[in-house]
Amino acid sequence: MNAIETRGLTKRFGKKTAVDHIDLTVGEGELFALLGVNGAGKTTTIRMLSCLSAPTEGECAVCGFDCSREQAQVKARIGLSPQDTAVAENLTVRENLSFMAQVYGLAPTDAKARVEELLLRFGLNEVENDRAKTLSGGWKRKLSIAMALIGSPSVLFLDEPTLGLDVLARRELWRVIESLRGKVTVVLTTHYMEEAEHLADRIAVMIGGRIAALGTLEELETRTGKKGLEEAFIAIAEGGTEHA
Amino acid sequence: MRKIKAFAVRNAKEILRDPLSYIFCMGFPLVMLVIMTLVDRSIPPEAGMTIFRIDRLSGGVMVFGLTFVMLFTAMTVAKDRSGAFLMRMYASPMTAGDFTAGYLLPVLAIALVQAALIGAASLLIALITGFDLSVGGLLLAIPALLPSAVFFCALGLLLGTLFNEKSAPGLCSIIISLGSFLGSVWFDAEATGGVLLSISQWLPFHYCTKAVRAAIVLDLTADAFWLPLAVTVGWAAIVAVCAALVFRWRMRAELA
Repeated sequence: MNAIETRGLTKRFGKKTAVDHIDLTVGEGELFALLGVNGAGKTTTIRMLSCLSAPTEGECAVCGFDCSREQAQVKARIGLSPQDTAVAENLTVRENLSFMAQVYGLAPTDAKARVEELLLRFGLNEVENDRAKTLSGGWKRKLSIAMALIGSPSVLFLDEPTLGLDVLARRELWRVIESLRGKVTVVLTTHYMEEAEHLADRIAVMIGGRIAALGTLEELETRTGKKGLEEAFIAIAEGGTEHA
Repeated sequence: MRKIKAFAVRNAKEILRDPLSYIFCMGFPLVMLVIMTLVDRSIPPEAGMTIFRIDRLSGGVMVFGLTFVMLFTAMTVAKDRSGAFLMRMYASPMTAGDFTAGYLLPVLAIALVQAALIGAASLLIALITGFDLSVGGLLLAIPALLPSAVFFCALGLLLGTLFNEKSAPGLCSIIISLGSFLGSVWFDAEATGGVLLSISQWLPFHYCTKAVRAAIVLDLTADAFWLPLAVTVGWAAIVAVCAALVFRWRMRAELA
């Protein structure tokens, strides 16, 4: 079973079409990148897949459950780290994780074990008693991703996970995301070419709400005859929006 | 239930870890209690003005204190809505009902603790000034204040849901002023009479104060206690249902 399937997925805001008939399948354990410039429709796609926005047309399913009709089942199986670091500012790092563990219905002993595991895995121990509002951008992003993973989701959505981070914090977060490969299906949005190139198993290039190209880096390079994702992206963008 | 408890604890921590909440919800009402007691001591007995006498002042300040709990409720909800935090929570298994309960329960607890502190301070002032204040009346005031607490907390939730982080506190300030003025906190509307009393009687604030004041002096007659309490319960029920429905509507609208 695919982790994610969309058919003709469309979102319109009045006369503006933000996402235009996209067809996608993402396999279990895959690290999948939605790449595009600002306004390409990446965040809107993630919002529809995480039940935060209803499609205008078409359908989408996560882990076999329809995102419109079976929202409770979908929400129980996903984790979301939004573009803005959505953490409880006056709670400590540990409290933020414990809070989310309870929201996802973990029993107290399981919650405690899960919190310890994530503190260790993300290296958050050194700031575990610091309030979230005092953390740097990099630590906040790590906490945000750890919070999204607390319920052991099958699918993790990361919306622009490294936006605004310095190069060192970005590299560290890449290592964190890479450590999830094969264990969780990860869908990340980014407009950083090197991020998609470095992390993703497959890349969907979104332009004007449509998927202009989809494939591995090698497939995109072969299709465009260009070396590197940036050159391939420019070739795809200048070549119009043709479905892969 | 676990989700509601977790969210309620989170909200309590968010409010209690803001130093301003202590200044406004605890410090300010207590300061007003002391200041108005000093004012009362300065009023000659022949003036016949009893509004600041501790048995009447105590109930007024309890209701006045609730308006600040309303302010912090509105600020918490509006702040959550302005950032991505609530969006993350919307993607979790929490329902609109979980959110409503999770917002209201901790602020209700804070409101009751606030009332207990004001009651204790009133008792201390009564001891110092040699006034015979009923402990039983003060204890009765806490449950009698509960409908008022529900009303103000639900109003805070409603305002925080409808307005943003900047406008919600401003609107709350207007309600704080109106509530203390038309709620007969700082003057006796019934003694004044006229248009002011008529306006007060159309709004809930007057009944909130009247019921609690009656409880403190153990005047449990229908006119002094039960009728104002019933009106307050009615207002609390209406505003609480409105707040829950509006939150659900807003959540659905944001997820459309």
